[in-house]
Amino acid sequence: MQFAQDIKRLKQLKGTESLQNAWNQWNQNHQSLTETTSLLTDADPGMRGLAEDEYQHLSNTLTDMLKKTFPSLLIPPSETAGLSALMELKSAVGGSESSLFLANLLRMYLRLADAKGWKTVIVSKSDTDEGGVKDAVVEFKGEGSYDDLRWESGVHRVQRVPTTEAQGRVHTSTVAIIVLPLSEEAESGGDSDLFNMEDVKVEVMRARGAGGQHVNKTESAVRLTHIPTGITVSMQDERSQHQNRRRAFQVLRARLMDRKLSQEMDERRATRNSLIRSADRSEKIRTYNYPQDRVTDHRIGRTIANLKSVLEGDALEDFMIDLRRNYEETILENVLVEGDHLSAI
Amino acid sequence: MSATRLLSALRSRIGRDQANLEYKWMTQAASHELDLVAMIRRRLVGEPLQFILGSQPFGPLNLLTRPPVLIPRPETEHWVTRLSQFISPVAHKPLRLLDLGTGTGCIPLLLCHLWPPGAVKATGIDVSDAAIQLAIENAALCGIAASHDDNCNKNTFLAIKANILDPCLYKNPAIQRPIDALTSNPPYISWKEYFHLPHSVSGYEDPKALFGGPFGMDFYHAIADFITCDGTLSPGAVVALEVGDGQANKVQRILTNTGRIKHTEIWNDPWGKERTVIGLA
Repeated sequence: MQFAQDIKRLKQLKGTESLQNAWNQWNQNHQSLTETTSLLTDADPGMRGLAEDEYQHLSNTLTDMLKKTFPSLLIPPSETAGLSALMELKSAVGGSESSLFLANLLRMYLRLADAKGWKTVIVSKSDTDEGGVKDAVVEFKGEGSYDDLRWESGVHRVQRVPTTEAQGRVHTSTVAIIVLPLSEEAESGGDSDLFNMEDVKVEVMRARGAGGQHVNKTESAVRLTHIPTGITVSMQDERSQHQNRRRAFQVLRARLMDRKLSQEMDERRATRNSLIRSADRSEKIRTYNYPQDRVTDHRIGRTIANLKSVLEGDALEDFMIDLRRNYEETILENVLVEGDHLSAI
Repeated sequence: MSATRLLSALRSRIGRDQANLEYKWMTQAASHELDLVAMIRRRLVGEPLQFILGSQPFGPLNLLTRPPVLIPRPETEHWVTRLSQFISPVAHKPLRLLDLGTGTGCIPLLLCHLWPPGAVKATGIDVSDAAIQLAIENAALCGIAASHDDNCNKNTFLAIKANILDPCLYKNPAIQRPIDALTSNPPYISWKEYFHLPHSVSGYEDPKALFGGPFGMDFYHAIADFITCDGTLSPGAVVALEVGDGQANKVQRILTNTGRIKHTEIWNDPWGKERTVIGLA
């Protein structure tokens, strides 16, 4: 018990380190400023000049700390910072054109992962005959990949003339993306704090007639149903049932983790009157418009001209930085509102 | 013909979804386009995918497959995995396991893999030289030692040639008794059923591994005779026999009639068929 408490205290101490650092820095700068002030009236004009420069510099630093450093300290550290991500992509409106666009998006995220140094595993993927991808599940392994990718959840819309369109008309198609948190837990089966093994129904998919020696068809598809939530996961990409099962459990765990996180967020919202908008996954979040050569993110109202720079360059990261800032600002507002409530009491 | 044309032929043969999956697996295994074309052609005439690719996953293992040795089935994979939890041997006190008609060696090899080191000394017998050879190769591939010399730190597996139907099997000096665990997926297809088997089974897999006599029961009777011999099973030994569709009750009775089995139970496979008869001595 002593040990567990020690760990808790250490964690608290570690958590306040950034506060202490900021305060020390503020005090140091402030002291320097006071010292410099006396030199502003120095008899030596050279000295006076130096002091003026330093005074200016120090007051800038202090203002900066007031405006940026201090507010950022109010943002609670991300609880999901260490998590990897599991991304599910599904073609939606637009048939084969939607699948072709999904292939473009998939490539975009794999490029991003490469740039970020995340390890990627294509957990499952169904290709279409036209060179598109109907749906895919991709694992992005690496610290912070969930926090970076989580704002990609939602409906991505493409407007362009499909290669299959003879009339040259612009079509609108969509791809739905869900990004799930991936925790580093024991890989296959076994109870965890997310679910009990007895709540999971494991099924094989197709009928096999007499089965056994009578049939030698490859049969490795697996479907899991988490009975309390009704979540089902099917996996059939591998020849090994063992492997399919392992991956299906990984996806189930990610979905349950996602559910848990959004429930916690809801609870917080209920108790704190939070301003943080919930991520509605049916909401259209971004439009990729080919004729106008632009990508617009509807949540932050930002448009990046040069669509290629998003799909094939590093402009996607600009969106991600803005989205994260946007999120942090809402958290900050929330904290301030809460503060007002407290002072009103 | 191009691979894509062949794929469309394969789709009309085995269904779109299955064809797409198999095409993907063949593509992953093929070193070049011509290789892939040859593979799909073989598949189109009905050759099992497992022989074309030369392997079959079995639990966490990936075993070699080669005609005519019986391909490990998912039903077997399921009950062997369950058996690995049903019996819990401990490290450094090896139990003696005998697998009758071992084929690729899948049953003893998976148990050797899943149980702690030094928990089992397994022996597999088979009547086919091709099976013995393949089982030995698979043991090496899985890193399972092929000698029962006094080494209690490792699980071991020996494959030897012998016939389940031999009435003097219990006298075979290579089979050490008493046995703590007896496993078998013996041939259980009846004469009548044999003619209705899909071509991918009857045309490629060893009839000696499939055909269990007129009613598919010959090997269960032989196994019962073997069990009945004094000193074959140790007290509390576990017998696990895979059975064909509709045979479980008969096999259960055959086991009980040996007078050597105190308790029996039947395990279903994941498709809801009675698949394995368990007997406790």
